[in-house]
Amino acid sequence: MDYLITLAILIAIYVILGASYNLVIGYGGLSTVAHPIFFAIGAYTTGLLSVNVPELPAVVNVLLGMVTAVVASVLLAGSALRVSGDYLLIASLGFQLGLLQLIKNLDFTGGPGGLSAIPSTILGAARGPAFLAITGAAAVACVFIIRAIVNGPYGRAISAMRDEELAFTALGRNAMSMKIAIFAIGCGMAGGAGGIYAYYFQYISPDQFEVLASATILTMVVLGGMGTPFGPVVGAILLLAIPQAITFLQLPPAIMAPTQGIIFTVLVLVFLYLRPAGILGNKARAI
Amino acid sequence: MTEILRVEGLQKRFGGIVVSDNIHLTIGAGEILGLIGPNGAGKTSLFNLISGVLRPDAGSIFLNGQKIDGAPLYKRARMGIARTWQNMLLFRTMTVLDNMLVGPRDYAGESVTRLAFGRAGVRAAEAAMRARAMGILGRMGLESTASSMVVDLPFGQQKLIGLARTLMNDGPLLLLDEPMAGVEGAAYETMQRVVRQEAASGRAVCVVEHNVSFIRDLCSRAVFMANGKILQDGTVEDLIASATLTELYFGV
Ligand SMILES: Nc1ncnc2c1ncn2[C@@H]1O[C@H](COP(=O)(O)OP(=O)(O)OP(=O)(O)O)[C@@H](O)[C@H]1O
Ligand SMILES: [Mg+2]
Repeated sequence: MDYLITLAILIAIYVILGASYNLVIGYGGLSTVAHPIFFAIGAYTTGLLSVNVPELPAVVNVLLGMVTAVVASVLLAGSALRVSGDYLLIASLGFQLGLLQLIKNLDFTGGPGGLSAIPSTILGAARGPAFLAITGAAAVACVFIIRAIVNGPYGRAISAMRDEELAFTALGRNAMSMKIAIFAIGCGMAGGAGGIYAYYFQYISPDQFEVLASATILTMVVLGGMGTPFGPVVGAILLLAIPQAITFLQLPPAIMAPTQGIIFTVLVLVFLYLRPAGILGNKARAI
Repeated sequence: MTEILRVEGLQKRFGGIVVSDNIHLTIGAGEILGLIGPNGAGKTSLFNLISGVLRPDAGSIFLNGQKIDGAPLYKRARMGIARTWQNMLLFRTMTVLDNMLVGPRDYAGESVTRLAFGRAGVRAAEAAMRARAMGILGRMGLESTASSMVVDLPFGQQKLIGLARTLMNDGPLLLLDEPMAGVEGAAYETMQRVVRQEAASGRAVCVVEHNVSFIRDLCSRAVFMANGKILQDGTVEDLIASATLTELYFGV
């Protein structure tokens, strides 16, 4: 039971990461690989505050984690986008690698060994279900906030910007500030997910936020359907649940690991072959 | 005639090519100015300089007497410089109506804070903008295309939609870059009628066009450009009558 709750919480966290990454790259058309580091910024800010300033309430710590992620993302996008859209990709890679290196080498972050002894905040038997409710609610809120952003007039402006940025700007729209806003919203959500993650697992370490995690998140987004509000939800559930479901087959460990890998890869390939725009994506538009 | 646009000593070069060489130009309210010249003369570049796509190396631009040199592209659009594009630049994944709705100069609906705190206001603004967009489409006989994807429409209609979208910006200056290229038949008539109506409503209009009969029908005054220079500024008749220009442009 505990195990299933942890899996569900992890899924909810990845729904937030996937949905927000989808907002940034799928809708905003902004290429970045720094999503894991914004997740880390939220996790470390929240974790460090909870350890060092015990009198601050957990909610405030998570919010401060979000704010820190937002500020960092505005600084990154604001400077990189001034050069060019392609430059954001390079700058985000540098930021991701550089900041993670810094976290590994600083003392107060716990270095490569990570930050442990993050207070539990919620105690007793209800801890798991309570965290699941909070994380689930946060995930649902993120998905619906993003849906509201991309469906209304603002979403129309976003897709116009993606289609023809020059014409969009010449109609009186500030493409730069819109991109920064989209980037900041997405990264802020990742930061919030990090805060919850830190509190639930009570331990964070740099290897949980490596650049490769953006490939995992991207796979969820692409598999579920990039540029669709609910695609990342489906993607996160499938990508996290399928490997676990295979565990239930109770195969011997020597066979289990490779089987898991093969079945998983095959499933992803089959899905992508049948639905190139993702499971919830528009079939016609992808080709 | 009230002066809307004044350009003073505009200078711009790309490496060895001078696209604007000491350009002086004024356009008044209600006027339709024709801008003609051979390919590569610098006509589109002049539009780019005026609208803020390009920064000049020297010179100044005034809109309604106000110097706008420092304003970026999007701010100039909000000040009321509306322009079309030689290759239309329509929003390809969107419907005609959605293309139109990105056109208004400042549109409160497109703000994240409004999204969170002013849903009712957004709905009202949205309804008003839709009505305005349908009105403009109606003027061009395009109501029935409102929910079509722009890419599914014939070229002539796409050209009209490019103009229609630009007309959502109701500012004082309208810059049209080759509105007639590839347009014929009914769309041709519509284009002419709409441009006339816009000028009659008091806007200053500048039309770049290779179709000289379109310029002759529409403009009393025209400017001839070649190699980044304005070679003549006068009546269309004088321009067409000029032997040098005829040689340069019509390649006689
Ligand atoms: N961004 C740019 N960088 C370099 N050269 C440019 C740029 N924009 C325009 N040019 C060059 O400047 C010259 C003038 O181009 P422009 O597009 O203004 O001509 P035009 O008069 O509009 O011609 P056309 O009738 O073919 O549209 C051309 O030689 C063009 O190649
Ligand atoms: Mg041109």
